[in-house]
Amino acid sequence: MQSATEKGTPVIELRHVEKHFGDLHVLRDVNLAVGRGEVLVVVGPSGSGKSTMCRTINRLETIDSGEILIEGEPLPQEGRELARMRAELGMVFQQFNLFAHMTVLDNVTLGPRDVLGVPREEAERQAMELLERVGVAEQAHKVPAQLSGGQQQRAAIARSLAMRPKAMMFDEPTSALDPEMINEVLDVMVELAREGMTMVVVTHEMSFARRVADRVVFMADGQIVEEGSPDEFFDHPRSQRARDFLDSIRGH
Amino acid sequence: MGLSELLSTFGQNYLDGLLATWSMTAVSFVLVMVLSVLVTVARVSPFAPLRAVGDLYVQVFRNIPGVALLIIIAYALPYLRVVLDWRTCVISATVLMATAFGSENFMSGINTIGVGQVEAARSLGLSFGQVLRRVVIPQALRSTVLPMTNLLIAVMLTTALGSQVPLSPPELTGVVDYVNSRATGGVLAFLVSAAGYLVTAFVISLVGNRIDRKVRILR
Repeated sequence: MQSATEKGTPVIELRHVEKHFGDLHVLRDVNLAVGRGEVLVVVGPSGSGKSTMCRTINRLETIDSGEILIEGEPLPQEGRELARMRAELGMVFQQFNLFAHMTVLDNVTLGPRDVLGVPREEAERQAMELLERVGVAEQAHKVPAQLSGGQQQRAAIARSLAMRPKAMMFDEPTSALDPEMINEVLDVMVELAREGMTMVVVTHEMSFARRVADRVVFMADGQIVEEGSPDEFFDHPRSQRARDFLDSIRGH
Repeated sequence: MGLSELLSTFGQNYLDGLLATWSMTAVSFVLVMVLSVLVTVARVSPFAPLRAVGDLYVQVFRNIPGVALLIIIAYALPYLRVVLDWRTCVISATVLMATAFGSENFMSGINTIGVGQVEAARSLGLSFGQVLRRVVIPQALRSTVLPMTNLLIAVMLTTALGSQVPLSPPELTGVVDYVNSRATGGVLAFLVSAAGYLVTAFVISLVGNRIDRKVRILR
């Protein structure tokens, strides 16, 4: 495993990030750096703040204090600057969140056309390539509701990739899927990781974490409790909480 | 006075009345749609004072009886040196009131759009305006065809306010007064006008249902 510092400026860096939802302290002094090409998998019990942390990275959630840096630059607070930064970070959601009134193709071309100013034909050509790559090219002219969950999520990944992001965040990308569709989405993510995409993945898929992660971060109660290589974390967890968590998901 | 005599004597008046109702309805509804979008955009804007103004607008104009509004516009505004012609007064009252309901329709349309889609659009780097234009408004429009069809019918019926001011030619309800002041049309004079409203409303709802089926968003 390479640490982020060996690879120069981290693509994503969180410093002393704090956040409350009312009385609930959801992020406590979170410090994290994700290097270029690194695949960081975030695991932890529900309510541990892992999704919230993922969402702070492109400011879908604001933070109370601390700093978030993208390639060394502070994340802008709002407005045009924030929009520009968001355009450079891909985000994949648990519920896919495809635009319901548009075809899959239009979903994928919206960002490039409206934000990057790519001409329609060029945007559609690139979109078809991406849809081909994630295996839903045949569905390009359908609307999202006509696709299975797995197909929708792959289309959503293509939509993010169309912006040629510096990094991709995945917020529990397979949690809303039927079991038989989980692998088709994970396969696309494995492929992305192999190609060197910088990724932050919040997931409950431990086999994916073990196979693909460069580093696993374990969160509980809004804190990063421990982090390490997948082998270290899964085979030799250092904290009692991580051991309890791993026992609880292993079952019998 | 029988139906045939009524129609042969006043047929042209009814026809003119129907056309007056249709034209006021059409003009009003176009204005209602435009203003509803604007008021609704204000109500969902990130700027709190603008949201408050939008909400206040709806609360005020949803809760004033149409006749009261018409009296204010037609008979009180002239004291402020705002003198509108009668037709404009009727259209203004109708539009101001219906816009409050139109905005409520849009708001419920917007609420059917998952917050996730808005987050996805923002994550792509779309600005607030682009999110509205490309994601929120198209879906809100398409999911509110049926309520807006109802509103169009309500707008048509509201233009009957025109019977309270001296329009020339009078609209469909005003025609009844015109007829009954010259002959004894009785309830039949009303029924002819009612038939005009009924047939129009029927056509509107037929067309509305068609459009709805065509643009409805699969979920």
